[in-house]
Amino acid sequence: MRAFSMRRGEFVAELDAHERTIISRVIADTSDLLGVPLGRLEASRNDEAGPAVGHSMTWSTDEVSEPADPALARLLPSASTEDDGVADEFRRLTEADLRSAKTARLRMVFDELRRPGTKIHVPRERAMDWAAALTDVRLVLAERLGIRTDSDAEDVYELSTLGGDGVDTAEDEIRAALALLYSALTWLQESLLQVMLPTLED
Amino acid sequence: MVAATEIPLAAPETDVEEALRPASDRPWRTIVWNDPVNLMSYVAYVFRSYFGFSAEKANRLMLQVHTEGRSAVSTGTREQMEVDVQAMHSYGLWATLAQDGD
Repeated sequence: MRAFSMRRGEFVAELDAHERTIISRVIADTSDLLGVPLGRLEASRNDEAGPAVGHSMTWSTDEVSEPADPALARLLPSASTEDDGVADEFRRLTEADLRSAKTARLRMVFDELRRPGTKIHVPRERAMDWAAALTDVRLVLAERLGIRTDSDAEDVYELSTLGGDGVDTAEDEIRAALALLYSALTWLQESLLQVMLPTLED
Repeated sequence: MVAATEIPLAAPETDVEEALRPASDRPWRTIVWNDPVNLMSYVAYVFRSYFGFSAEKANRLMLQVHTEGRSAVSTGTREQMEVDVQAMHSYGLWATLAQDGD
């Protein structure tokens, strides 16, 4: 994985085939969660990504419309903490648009990740869509990892740096893989922001 | 100079008007809440690109979210605030709308 940099007017990063497979899978799972499957993924299910990671990335889509899923609730949060009437009205007016905006961005990133080669090309006008899609995937992973506070986030970062030390059970293994993926996506998104910010004019 | 008798007459009148102002006229706010996932750089970018804030203002509000847990980032009618909250949710920030005085 190589961080985003500005090259010939666009943002370019590098991800190898293994990284692309893992990230495209979690992108697809996030879109599934929003109720829009991105299509068949057989090609990526049989490669070297490994069953532990694959299993951990695949959560049930049966409850896609169930707001009780905290990860989905984080993607489509309540617009009022005090007034259910305001929150319900807002959800009625906006939820379909939010779902389609989010899934359209996820599909764009998914399609780019499934192109041949290692380079990821992000035109400047699409950079915000990329950053937002990475945010949505990170929100879902964070919820699965139980990140509720800044301190939880630091613990996950620590876990991702251990390189497998202290991993005893299959559950530990899944958590360690998710932590590594979360930290990698955080790093990738931060690198994108660092090339995006200088392009804004005051 | 204003005649002394005019002052007590004018002042309460304004208060009465304010008190009788219908609830629907009171402004609404968009409030962005802290979370442990969103990057500070990303939140600042969203504030600058969506609201058109200067780098200084975007960073100040972003830090307020980070340190105080939340920040009111825009004010207007309920409909305007619904648009802003929807945009924040689209970008993955948690925002709510509330009416002043609630």
